[in-house]
Amino acid sequence: MQDISLHLLDIIENSARAKARNIKVRVIRNVMKNRLRIIVEDDGVGMDSHTIEMAQDPFYTSKEEREKKVGLGIPLLKQNAELSGGCFKMASEPGFGTVLTVDFELDNIDRMPLGNLKDTLLGAVIGHPEVDFDINLITKEKGIEQSFHFDTAAIKEELGDIPLTYPDVIEYIDQSLLEGIQNTNMEDV
Amino acid sequence: MKTLADLKKIREKAQEEMKLRGSSVRVKIVVGMGTSGIAMGAREVMKTFLEEISNRNLTDVLVTQTGEKGLSSMEPVVDVIEDGKPKVTYGNMNPDKVKKVVVEHIVNGRIVSDYVVATGN
Repeated sequence: MQDISLHLLDIIENSARAKARNIKVRVIRNVMKNRLRIIVEDDGVGMDSHTIEMAQDPFYTSKEEREKKVGLGIPLLKQNAELSGGCFKMASEPGFGTVLTVDFELDNIDRMPLGNLKDTLLGAVIGHPEVDFDINLITKEKGIEQSFHFDTAAIKEELGDIPLTYPDVIEYIDQSLLEGIQNTNMEDV
Repeated sequence: MKTLADLKKIREKAQEEMKLRGSSVRVKIVVGMGTSGIAMGAREVMKTFLEEISNRNLTDVLVTQTGEKGLSSMEPVVDVIEDGKPKVTYGNMNPDKVKKVVVEHIVNGRIVSDYVVATGN
């Protein structure tokens, strides 16, 4: 993975695969605290403590466990966060969902770029019409807080039976996300 | 700023169109978005499909994302599913190949056999 947005897409796909109906995504760029924080919260099937351990370990070798197909996505993200002075936390409860928090040190030379957040969110939102996304982008810089909120449940309600892949709707979501990303200065993070 | 009022206009326009030609989905496209797919460029593949649909005003095409499909060595992988026809799976996709698949297959109904890695179920 070349950037943080690709990791974010990977996490969102995990949530969708865990049968989440609601996924909350927070991207918080806090310049005063020198921190870029990503929080993804879902109401999917969740994991027990053993599975959480397993999901973070790329070298888990027991054949029985391997059949559960826990991949490399989480261990790679964890490694990338820790290599750039950040940290990775995952909490989950079977039957209730999963919360994942990843921190990166903003000015760390080893931090990967945030990358194309817009295309990640656009693909996820349109590619998973069964999921309601609640997206918040927040920038705290020089004592000023700018935020962008995007709630797909409201959009779907307004659209009725018009699908998210309707051409003008793609354009609408693309433009909204672009404006939000620009307004919160998340373009070249 | 985009507002929900803009959506209302889109909805009215779309409903008018549906009255004329019906609301059926003719083609369903599924982009494999597992970890290896993402690492190999599946996000750009998805984005190009959405761009093409928007630019060409294709109102009867649906695009969704799915997880790993067990074809890791051929990622990014895309399924094209049409009613009454066998599923076509394209592999090693990139934005240029997507554009070709949209023109040839989705619009003109000709499968791009060079990119096909599997057919049927």
